[in-house]
Amino acid sequence: MVEIAEVAVSAAELKLGAGPVAGAGVTLSHAGPPARYSLRARDAKVLSDVIGRALPGKIGDQTDGVICLGPDEFYAILPEGTVLPRGEGLAVSVTDVSSRALGLVLEGPAAISVLASGCPLDLASMKVGRATRTVFETVEIVVWRESEERWHVEVWRSFATWLWNAFVAAMPGAHG
Amino acid sequence: MLLIHCPYCEEARPEVEFVYGGEAHIARPVDPSTYSDEQWEEFLYIRSNPRGRHHERWRHTHGCGRFFNAVRDTVTDVFETTYKAGEARK
Repeated sequence: MVEIAEVAVSAAELKLGAGPVAGAGVTLSHAGPPARYSLRARDAKVLSDVIGRALPGKIGDQTDGVICLGPDEFYAILPEGTVLPRGEGLAVSVTDVSSRALGLVLEGPAAISVLASGCPLDLASMKVGRATRTVFETVEIVVWRESEERWHVEVWRSFATWLWNAFVAAMPGAHG
Repeated sequence: MLLIHCPYCEEARPEVEFVYGGEAHIARPVDPSTYSDEQWEEFLYIRSNPRGRHHERWRHTHGCGRFFNAVRDTVTDVFETTYKAGEARK
């Protein structure tokens, strides 16, 4: 008689790994706890003056950790403890969303194929320094290509456990 | 996979990032309280449903988040063009 192994895993059994996981040609780790801000403004110039930083001009561009997600929407990943002025009275929204997301880092020559296992973007033609919102399977993520072989993935906290395990499952030779 | 050109991102992006938003260029009533039942029916439920060239709204939900308009052929599923919300019908 053939024994059938149980393959189904319930969500409750999934664990978010703490330390780095290594596979063949790729490492998965946490990006650390940065300050995250959601920035909105119709007029980017006003927003730029409020926070005192240059803003990327085109959707998908990134300047010093500030990503242009949409025509009036920016997402900032800044060093831990950074506090941005809120610009009270002006037509801008500067909101601290540090606890909303987790940052995962995929690094190594095989990182792109791990990401491509669930992300439909043309990642190979994405230039270094570019960043965009997209999906991994059905989970919304923000992907930032920090260098040729280093990919920073921002994911909302409640999806992070699943995403971590999906990455580990896609990493050749890795065990969570 | 179908690629859709987002007029805001200025890139061809995978279809799964988008959500369909129904027929485009349907104006809301300027003065709703004066609308008769027939006019409400027309506004809420009556759509052109053509075989061929169709003007429709899409939203780049998992991208820039913007609504835009597209002209798609309902027979071949080919996107003829996409353009920003607020621009004239193409």
